Amino acid sequence: MRWDISDSEEAEPTEPAEAGREDLPSDAASLAGDLILRGEDVTKEYQTGTQTVRALKGIDFGIAPSDFVAIVGPSGSGKSTLLNLLGLLDVPTDGAVSLRGQDVSTFSDADRTRKRKRAIGFVFQSFYLIPTLTALENVEMPRMLDKTPVKTRERAKTLLQRVGLGDRLDHYPDELSGGQKQRVAIARSLINDPALLLADEPTGNLDRDTGDEILALFDELRAEEDVAIVTVTHDAYVAEEADRVVNLVDGVIEDTGETAADGGHGA
Amino acid sequence: MSWLRRVTARFPTVVLARRNLSRATARTTLAVVAIVIGVVAIGTIGAGGEAFKQDQMEAYEGFGGTATVSPVYYQNDDGDIVGGISDKDVSRMRQVTSGATVHPVIERWDTVVRTSSGETSPSAQVKGLAALGTFYEAQSGSIPDSWRQQVVVGSRFADNNDVETGDQLTVTINGSFERTFRVAAVLEPQGFADQLQADRSVFLPFDRLSQLEDSDSKYGSVIVRVDPQTGSIDEAAESLETEFNTRRRTIAVSEVQEQRERFSQTFEMINQFLIGVGSISLLVAAVTIANTMLMTAIEREREIGVMRAVGYPKRAVVSLLLAEATILGLVGAAIGVPLALGIGMGLNQFLVGDPLAFTAAGLRYVGLGALFGVLTSLFAGVYPAWKSANKRPVEALE
Repeated sequence: MRWDISDSEEAEPTEPAEAGREDLPSDAASLAGDLILRGEDVTKEYQTGTQTVRALKGIDFGIAPSDFVAIVGPSGSGKSTLLNLLGLLDVPTDGAVSLRGQDVSTFSDADRTRKRKRAIGFVFQSFYLIPTLTALENVEMPRMLDKTPVKTRERAKTLLQRVGLGDRLDHYPDELSGGQKQRVAIARSLINDPALLLADEPTGNLDRDTGDEILALFDELRAEEDVAIVTVTHDAYVAEEADRVVNLVDGVIEDTGETAADGGHGA
Repeated sequence: MSWLRRVTARFPTVVLARRNLSRATARTTLAVVAIVIGVVAIGTIGAGGEAFKQDQMEAYEGFGGTATVSPVYYQNDDGDIVGGISDKDVSRMRQVTSGATVHPVIERWDTVVRTSSGETSPSAQVKGLAALGTFYEAQSGSIPDSWRQQVVVGSRFADNNDVETGDQLTVTINGSFERTFRVAAVLEPQGFADQLQADRSVFLPFDRLSQLEDSDSKYGSVIVRVDPQTGSIDEAAESLETEFNTRRRTIAVSEVQEQRERFSQTFEMINQFLIGVGSISLLVAAVTIANTMLMTAIEREREIGVMRAVGYPKRAVVSLLLAEATILGLVGAAIGVPLALGIGMGLNQFLVGDPLAFTAAGLRYVGLGALFGVLTSLFAGVYPAWKSANKRPVEALE
């Protein structure tokens, strides 16, 4: 994985980005073909009333298969904005985000929805399970509109067994504990075999033991299915597990550090 | 995998929609009730109105190919009111309408009818019509072909005065003639559209009444009838107009068919107006459903945001919410239709005397109510669905 720092200052936001790109070694260019997601000089601005808020001020990033990246930083630093961009839920104001080499800004809304479904899985802090669906149905949900109910059900069962909920298939969310709900949510995020899993505070609502289980599950997914995981977290414990930590402050990346967990998963 | 799941898996949107509706039971029920009221209002007003119309239209039965002729009164040069139809006029009518049968009707207004218990009936109209049996049917007793000592009475007269077949009635005319008759028959109810207002009439033997008339122009009206197979009532009416009204308008000819159509049109208008009023309840239902769906959309904003995030296109979100709204309409219609039919059966029993006397038009209104109910729901769901689908998942998930 590459996570380029781009210290864009207000004065000349483009230059450091250019520098960042030049930093890419030649072998990294070929590596770029392998990247699931790549961002160059990504800027995101919001209009709040008459004010323009720059949530991201020109950052570069690249995510390769089986990466585990933790994005940390104080609230309001642009973490959620970055996660939205990574999840193709939003497009940058400036700069480019590309999914497997294709510029996201060229996609229509429908295109982005389709690509998102195929490539990206989401895990939310509050799980967001649908209360009227069973665990199994919640996992099936992203694929419910596909006309492959038999295959979908098989896959959903396998995933729930994998996250240790093989005996809770027909339970409704309100019959599950927080950890179980999060595991259902993770199973749901994997139903379409995504290359990238985006997890927003995945352990935020869980106790330490349950959080451990989730992290172990992430390790397994990376090792066995090459799933890249990007997580936004306040939890230093989660950040320690990641093989790269991105410290986002005020829309710029302050510093990154490889942690001990970077044991061969990183590029 | 069970067959049921195989079937339902083919319609995931419907499954999701149904589950979603089940989570806010009270709200769903209220929305359905609103639709039920609308469907019942339209269905019942429509079907009931048609039953009423059918009831009234029966009065025209037996009057096919018939015209009524009534005299036009006018002031002559001496200032006297003249006019009326005499025996001579009737003969002329018979001549000019060859092939038609001409039935003069005598109406007396100077009569008193007393029942055997001694009560008098002020509203009774005494009439004479020779071939009564060709126009009306008896609900009890039988209409005699030629009669001298009997009377035939209308249904309303019979009801109001507790008169049955076989009872005695005493009729006094002009203070001089008084005679007691036996009731030979009570006629079927005819409704207010009947030509002779038979329901409140007492039919005396024609010849008796005729003998009592001393004036020349003794007939209150004349019924002209043509067998539609062999002749045309239009031609007969035209001949009568030419014969009697060329110099001065002395008679008014009115074809029963035309009256029937006028009545039918008038009634149709009233019914349509009432259904319009009934439709307002569906409008209210639309507002209720739109409100329900908006609340649903707002409550489930995050959930819908998640669905969009995991790859549901806008179209799928729109379909889902429209499916929910449509299910409300379908359930409302499914409850409303049997209710409307039930109430319609009551109305049929009351008006026509047969609970199953639904007309095609009446049933059409029930169907229309159901259709409008479903369409209203669907339509009411459009804006909330559109709004929901166009919410950016980023905002929904914040």
